[in-house]
Amino acid sequence: MQSLARRFSSQISSNARLFSTSTVALQATPVQKSVMNKEFKIYRWNPDEPSKKPTLQSYTIDLNQTGPMVLDALIKIKNEIDPTLTFRRSCREGICGSCAMNINGQNTLACLCRIDRNTSKDSKIYPLPHMYIVKDLVPDLTYFYKQYKSIQPYLQNDNPPEKGEFLQSQEDRKKLDGLYECILCACCSTSCPSYWWNQDEYLGPATLMQAYRWIADSRDSYGEARKEKLQNEMSLYRCHTIFNCSRTCPKGLNPAAAIAKIKLELATE
Amino acid sequence: MHCQGTGNILSLCSVVAVRHASDSSVYVPGGPVYKGTVNDPITFPPPSRSAGSYHWAFERLLSAGLIPLTAAAFVTSGTNYPVLDGVLGVSLVMHSHIGFNSVFVDYLHKRKFPVLGPIVTWTLRAATVGALAGVYQFNTNDIGLTELIAKVWTA
Repeated sequence: MQSLARRFSSQISSNARLFSTSTVALQATPVQKSVMNKEFKIYRWNPDEPSKKPTLQSYTIDLNQTGPMVLDALIKIKNEIDPTLTFRRSCREGICGSCAMNINGQNTLACLCRIDRNTSKDSKIYPLPHMYIVKDLVPDLTYFYKQYKSIQPYLQNDNPPEKGEFLQSQEDRKKLDGLYECILCACCSTSCPSYWWNQDEYLGPATLMQAYRWIADSRDSYGEARKEKLQNEMSLYRCHTIFNCSRTCPKGLNPAAAIAKIKLELATE
Repeated sequence: MHCQGTGNILSLCSVVAVRHASDSSVYVPGGPVYKGTVNDPITFPPPSRSAGSYHWAFERLLSAGLIPLTAAAFVTSGTNYPVLDGVLGVSLVMHSHIGFNSVFVDYLHKRKFPVLGPIVTWTLRAATVGALAGVYQFNTNDIGLTELIAKVWTA
């Protein structure tokens, strides 16, 4: 019996060799990737040296040792070259909206933006345009959030259902598609020339789209009050249908259409 | 503000205090100084439909109406239809007024330009009134707008 077991085990070892026993010579040799250097020019400004003007600092990294997205490059630069480089990032998958910045002239999320593999051209990275800068690529979004708060982005209804939850038809629910997905990264608002010039009074595409998200909600009964707030020269009507917002949205949403719908509702009520 | 502790914190506190003092003296619209705390929502101007939806609807209807008006003036003669000529003249002037006014609201608003803003707004109003009077004079005592354009076209 014992000899049978021994013979069986020796059979296994001769037919199916364990990985731990394979010799180095039999293993696949890792392919040596060529060096693919690319230059990144990144906006730098340090609040500790306010007299120094903002500059573009150049970093060169090997793309073959970097992940595919611009955020990977930024993290690599911060980890390996310059730990003082400052930027916001969190989820690295386009759902938190932290890493919104201006990459090669387009507002987008660094985590959703592929690095241009053309190494003969540099990549320029700036913070969101026309915002006050806290440091390097970090813009001050306080006013943006104050504007968002002003449209009361929550359900308001004085007559809640006596039992259970609000019921909504499938058609009414469909009206919220393309609105609720907004992650408030501020890419659209900061791409809007009207928002650049009149940021203190004009709400901007991101906030206006959320205003419409609550106006369009069948469960909300404060639509009239919400619309009445926008009945002035500045808050809504500084939108001149430039469409930068819809073009730049990294989530593929259409704030311009939402603003057009608010205008139509205000004009036809 | 509580300014206690070591020298470093003291100097930081004094810097912050100085900044606050200078901030409270001048409020720059849209500047880095916020009205209220960071947790307060912004406030809205008082609602006004004439500045809001009525203005927008009027502007759009006027723009859309100018297309058939221009086409009508093109196929008819201003001498035979003086009312059409007059309506076209007034519409064009009002369309221009709204357009220029929009430029001033965008770029020369009086909250940012307390002197220049009102000057350009009132200059525009005076120019519009002058243009309306001119259109009236020209259409009643002279050949009228459509005829003028036809003449210039063939000249």
